[in-house]
Amino acid sequence: MISAKAPAKIFTAARFIVLIVVCIAMAILTRSDEYGFVFLNGTNLLNIVRNASILIIIAVGQTITLTAKDVDLSVGSVLSLTSVLAAIMLKSYGVGVPVAILAALLVGAFLGFINGVLITYVGLPPFIATYGMLWVLFGFAYLILRGNVIYGFPATFRVIGNGHLFGIPMPIIVMLIVFIAGYFVLYHTTLGRRFFATGANIETARMSGVKVDRVVITAYVISGFLAALAGLVLIAYTNGSEARIGDNYLLPVLAVVVMGGTSLAGGQGNLMGTLVAALIMASIHNGMNILAVPAIWKSLVVGLLIIAAVLADQGMRQRA
Amino acid sequence: MRSFLIKLPSAVWVILLMMTIFTVVSARYLTIDNIVNIIQQNSILLILALGATLVLLSEGIDLSAGAVLTLSGVTCARVMQRLMDSGSSNATAMVAGVSIGLLTGALMGAITGGLISIGRLPPFIASLGMMGVGGSLSLVLAESTAIYIHNPVYAFFGETLDKSIQLPLMQYLSMPTFIAIFVFVFVWIVLYHTPFGRYIVSIGGNEQGARLSGVNITFWKWMVYVTAGILSGISGVTLAARLEAADSIVGIGWEFDAIAAAILGGTSFAKGKGGIAGTVLGVLLIGVARNGLNVSGVPSLWQPALMGSIVILAIVFEIIHSRWREGSR
Repeated sequence: MISAKAPAKIFTAARFIVLIVVCIAMAILTRSDEYGFVFLNGTNLLNIVRNASILIIIAVGQTITLTAKDVDLSVGSVLSLTSVLAAIMLKSYGVGVPVAILAALLVGAFLGFINGVLITYVGLPPFIATYGMLWVLFGFAYLILRGNVIYGFPATFRVIGNGHLFGIPMPIIVMLIVFIAGYFVLYHTTLGRRFFATGANIETARMSGVKVDRVVITAYVISGFLAALAGLVLIAYTNGSEARIGDNYLLPVLAVVVMGGTSLAGGQGNLMGTLVAALIMASIHNGMNILAVPAIWKSLVVGLLIIAAVLADQGMRQRA
Repeated sequence: MRSFLIKLPSAVWVILLMMTIFTVVSARYLTIDNIVNIIQQNSILLILALGATLVLLSEGIDLSAGAVLTLSGVTCARVMQRLMDSGSSNATAMVAGVSIGLLTGALMGAITGGLISIGRLPPFIASLGMMGVGGSLSLVLAESTAIYIHNPVYAFFGETLDKSIQLPLMQYLSMPTFIAIFVFVFVWIVLYHTPFGRYIVSIGGNEQGARLSGVNITFWKWMVYVTAGILSGISGVTLAARLEAADSIVGIGWEFDAIAAAILGGTSFAKGKGGIAGTVLGVLLIGVARNGLNVSGVPSLWQPALMGSIVILAIVFEIIHSRWREGSR
């Protein structure tokens, strides 16, 4: 176990260096004579972390499914559908805030459960099961709202998105709780070890007595639950929801998880790597916004930086 | 009878079942026009899905296919437009534009493949990055809109043949379908009758074993992505000819359809299993479902949810079918 952990630490260290390099580069690029290092401004740094929070909450779930089995392509649609459900409950049916939140989270977990059952007991390839679910769930979100946007939620609900606790924005607080809980589960519990064992070699895990089907289902339940949670925080912050709200999260989530060092082959989850990669991604986006990079160039910059970050990271790993 | 039921791939049964249901539901469904329409509409997806199959067989993934499709169409249209504006003949402009479009595909594939084979990046990351690069370049080159192309010589590649050949039944034959058939035959020969094809399957099945038996993995892996890039380029150029315009976002999401078609056709992510004949069935399955939902008048609000369910049910059926097949042995 120790020998497996030591290189993981080196990988994470390499990623931290990449993050620091990105931040320094952004700080220098965005420096202006009038305002100085705007990028390093406290409010801006807090902004970056807050923007990364939604991504990190979903990515923690994705890291866990990739550790235990395979991708969950449905996260964006789970986010859309659960946030639309919560929005409808709050706006049209006047359901109490705690009930709406709880219901959305339960639906998210249940959708993850369906993914898990399709993959384990029914035996679908995860890519197809979750891709099919992506369309089904988006379809339901679309059916419910019929292309409309729903907005204006009660202030008590919006606290989880735009409130502050000790001066720290709520999304960051939620993200930290999720991250710490995820870290604890993945690295310090029997369940976490079972995720790794099942992902590394499902047959070996089965033969050594792990109930692999349950483990995989649990991973997808966690992923669905966290996607729903991210959706709640997101709509509480933006104060509106629509059927496509989650669409833009799937690829960035996969990008940060894989950039973070979690392998698509399973059994190699690196949660700290995911966190750092999400911060790198958010810093890049923030820097581009300050520099007013035209929208049409953004995906090129992000694409090149994803490639460069992983290449740099690999280079450092080979040295170490 | 029983052995016949078992021998045919399950996708065939799913397609026949869907067609039966759509025929019962809608009188407009089972007409020659509509069946031909399904084939014509999905020819271009087939070209893309053949590339996806090759990549999957080598145990990789290419998420950049849709973006490369878009970019190839855009570069083709830009060059063609520029040449025609400066007085070149339609034919010259067409040859130059198509060449540049295919070259764009090959170049993007070469970069993605180079990052994967030489740079040793995970295919997922390299192709995701290139998806971003291709998407941006398409928007920039097409100035975020569509480039309309008025070139009869080029438009021929997207048309049905009745527009150029005055013979009966020509409206049922279209150039995209011919191009797809030609590409299919080409990929078939490459995959099953050349060393390259054997290397692709052996890289996917057992990379270490292939390396030890002296296969130059780095080079052949790179070639897989170059080939996939060229196929994306062919799809992009053909699509732009069919639409008579190169749209700057037209290919978004096509890569997932292509991969889903390959998997529905029986190609799996691991161990080099599957083949391109199955991919044809996978493309038809997606095409028949999408067309049937449209023609039988299912409200568009319901279509995404139903498409997703059909994809899931098709695979569930395949699993049941394969268990049945094993049980009957």
